[in-house]
Amino acid sequence: MVEAFAVASGTGGTGKTTSTLALGMALADEHDVTVVDADTGMANLLFHAGLDDATVTLHDLLVEGTATDVSEATYNRFGLSVVPCGTSLAGFEAAEPGRLRDVVAELARDTDVLLLDSPAALGSKSAVLPVVLADRVVIVVEPTIPALSDGLKVQEYARSYGTNTAGVLLNKVRSDAADVAEQAERHFGGPTLASVPDSEVVRAARRAGEPLLAHAPESAPAACYRRAAARIDIQDGDGDAVADRFRSAVVPDTP
Amino acid sequence: MSGTSEPPELRIPRGNLLRSRVVSDVGTTLSRALDRELTGYATLVPQETLLLSGEAKGVLTFADGVPVLAYNTVTDSGGPDALAELAVPGPYRAELYAVDAGALETAHEEAALRVAPGAAATELADDQALADRTRAAAPDDRVDDETESDTDAVAAFLEDDERIAAIREQARNEARSRAEEWGFDDALADAAESDGRDRRDD
Repeated sequence: MVEAFAVASGTGGTGKTTSTLALGMALADEHDVTVVDADTGMANLLFHAGLDDATVTLHDLLVEGTATDVSEATYNRFGLSVVPCGTSLAGFEAAEPGRLRDVVAELARDTDVLLLDSPAALGSKSAVLPVVLADRVVIVVEPTIPALSDGLKVQEYARSYGTNTAGVLLNKVRSDAADVAEQAERHFGGPTLASVPDSEVVRAARRAGEPLLAHAPESAPAACYRRAAARIDIQDGDGDAVADRFRSAVVPDTP
Repeated sequence: MSGTSEPPELRIPRGNLLRSRVVSDVGTTLSRALDRELTGYATLVPQETLLLSGEAKGVLTFADGVPVLAYNTVTDSGGPDALAELAVPGPYRAELYAVDAGALETAHEEAALRVAPGAAATELADDQALADRTRAAAPDDRVDDETESDTDAVAAFLEDDERIAAIREQARNEARSRAEEWGFDDALADAAESDGRDRRDD
């Protein structure tokens, strides 16, 4: 079984990568989870997962003519399979968005849950691709008007491309946002998975190069992410069928 | 302070124009006011009219660089409601005016128009670092304003169903035209009647 989620935001700095890894680790208690850094232009998952020195990354898989196997770019860390993306500009420019589809299809054969850490933008084909490919989207927003506006846009894009919403994660919440959580739920058409408090411990985890749930498993934000993960009901999908679906997804060549 | 049921109006003296620009990011204007510890006001006219039911013209006053009052002269909304109405994607035409020290003291007593020190940076500019810098510069007696009115603007935004519907519609049109541009046409969920997932089983 496999279900693919795009973790998306529309705005930078909402804590998308932190959230992707935290949800991944929480879901890994019950499922085989693979986390992919699909933000090929602004990759940072590797820094969060202590993979700064990874020799083979998603970039290598997305560049035509490199015959690297997906397994070579997959690292077992913190109970997850992690596919980091490189940060070199050359790698980014040579990367072909369409090949991401094939990589995701390959990974889908051998996991329960695929989390795609998606670009914080909607302005290009490669930025939107993870949302197109995923079954459902998890929208990470700060409780501010600009972030919520962009989150609503992401959701509408997702809906337009046939991708449902698993829920909204309110992140970096500074004050009691109970009303905001309730109202957001009404608009996003998916549950508010959690309101994760703004916390120094999250920044400390990032500095340490560790996912939050490894760095501070007992912290309040970690507990929120576990609750959020528990609210996502993973749906069974046939891995091969999903892989085929990705393969047949219409993704044009880079112009 | 008004003591009546009438909504309070903003009355401020005309200032000296320091700067008039079209800015893509209001953070530029807020940051400038903060850095020069401006006592005065900014007028902000969003150029994005699609998401507004009518025109909006915002006035944001400053004491020593820190925002104090927000007002929308088109709707006569004030405080967090005015901020919510003004929080649209740029660009804005922004003008900065200086007034004599003390000239805004009376206006600044109007509690109903007040906004939290960091709220404009957060809601208009989406700039938490600027919001933190502004909060740090705010006098101690303004810190109490913070938590309350910071989420008030967000709550006002989320209650504005019409505006949220407009954001959705704009995004939907954008997603559709870009699908054509990017060759994603076949991914469009239009054909599927329900949730769009159906098209994948074709």
